[in-house]
Amino acid sequence: MPVPAISCGKTGAIFLVLFVTLALGCAHLSLEQYCFSVSGLPRSMEIPGVPFYSQQDHLCGPAAMAMLLQWSGENFSPRDIVSEIFTPSRQGSLQSDLIAAARRHKRLAYPLQGLEPMLTELAAGHPVIVLQNLGLRWFPRWHYSVSTGYDMAEDVIILHSGEEAGRHMDWTLFVRTWRRADYWGLVVLPTGQIPASADEHSYLKAALGIEQAEQWEAAARAYSAALDRWQSSLGALMGLGNCRYRMGDLFGAEQAFRHAAKDNPDSGAAFNNLAHVLAEHGRYAEALEMAGRAVAIGGTRKHLYLQTLQEIQAVEQSGSD
Amino acid sequence: MNFLQSMRKPVAALVILAIAFSISWAPAHAAMVSTDEILKQNQRDCDRERLHMLLDRSEVRVQLEAWGVNSEEAKARIDSLTDQEIAEIAAQLEQMPAGGSALGTLVGAALIVFIVLLITDILGVTDVFSFVKKGK
Repeated sequence: MPVPAISCGKTGAIFLVLFVTLALGCAHLSLEQYCFSVSGLPRSMEIPGVPFYSQQDHLCGPAAMAMLLQWSGENFSPRDIVSEIFTPSRQGSLQSDLIAAARRHKRLAYPLQGLEPMLTELAAGHPVIVLQNLGLRWFPRWHYSVSTGYDMAEDVIILHSGEEAGRHMDWTLFVRTWRRADYWGLVVLPTGQIPASADEHSYLKAALGIEQAEQWEAAARAYSAALDRWQSSLGALMGLGNCRYRMGDLFGAEQAFRHAAKDNPDSGAAFNNLAHVLAEHGRYAEALEMAGRAVAIGGTRKHLYLQTLQEIQAVEQSGSD
Repeated sequence: MNFLQSMRKPVAALVILAIAFSISWAPAHAAMVSTDEILKQNQRDCDRERLHMLLDRSEVRVQLEAWGVNSEEAKARIDSLTDQEIAEIAAQLEQMPAGGSALGTLVGAALIVFIVLLITDILGVTDVFSFVKKGK
């Protein structure tokens, strides 16, 4: 999908376009029919305490993000984050900028796609930023709303959108506007919480985003949370070790890498990183043994493990001279 | 002026300390394996496994056998593909309706054709996909 910079069009034009698209669309499942495919969903849900900011002047992106940052625990107004999200030359905000901003503020930003994951998140009490195209494919009017719930009996989705908090929008109409934006959604959570629709790999990718934003402590929290659910996850253990290492917590890093190596004895990477940490502790004998294990396991990164081994040998010799 | 002169040494010491500190912590060890690498490896392993599972499906097996290919041989061929090739195949699979990420759903006719042609491509019987490198 081409990445649109999302600006919020004028409301009048939007309503006209909505009317036209309503007339043109094809039949859709009702919300109730949809919910049959997702087990255990309550019949209605409205997440309490999601703050609302009026989305004026093309600033729907910053306003939507401010709502979720504040909901997830810190005081932000849209003005505080406009410069991080909004691209003036395009009069809009890119999806990637929203994600990056959430990560800079130590949040887990988890993109999702599709109705079922979105309903699953809402049912779990997680509001979702949704990108809608309120216009047509060839005449787009992009808009970010914050979805806070739904009601099967009324067949509506509940949105903080435009200048209206808790707006009830016809389900079918919503699905059409969302489909035109390829069902793109974003969950923003405090680190340590896991999106209800996440699997191990997609969650770890979101946690990696925090690590790459160099928010080591927040990323370490996210990886720790993954370990509560996926106990011996190699990705989570390595991530945790790497973050602790970057924070200067050598002891904690050693623990994580040791755990990774124990639960994943065929992972050369775990032994390799453990060897580095041990060497920095000055425990050369053990470091050499671990590096040797990594080299013995080999694989595509064998050259790297050899480099580790040689580095440690060099440091040990220069130390003993 | 005198004040500035007298501050020169302490300031210099602070700067040196700061530099030393940033050098010791800023770059992760070059020979450490990053989390990014681990997750990419995970992804590649999952892609391979997914292809194996597709080859186990009876519709695909029947079709392959009709072409005279047994599925064990097909799997061995999949294993010989490079990570790059596997990634491209996985990307193609993602774009298939009903075939992509939700493996549980019905395997569409297009998907069967795709996977069969893929295997026969690898075996050198057909030449449909540019991303499959041929032996010769």
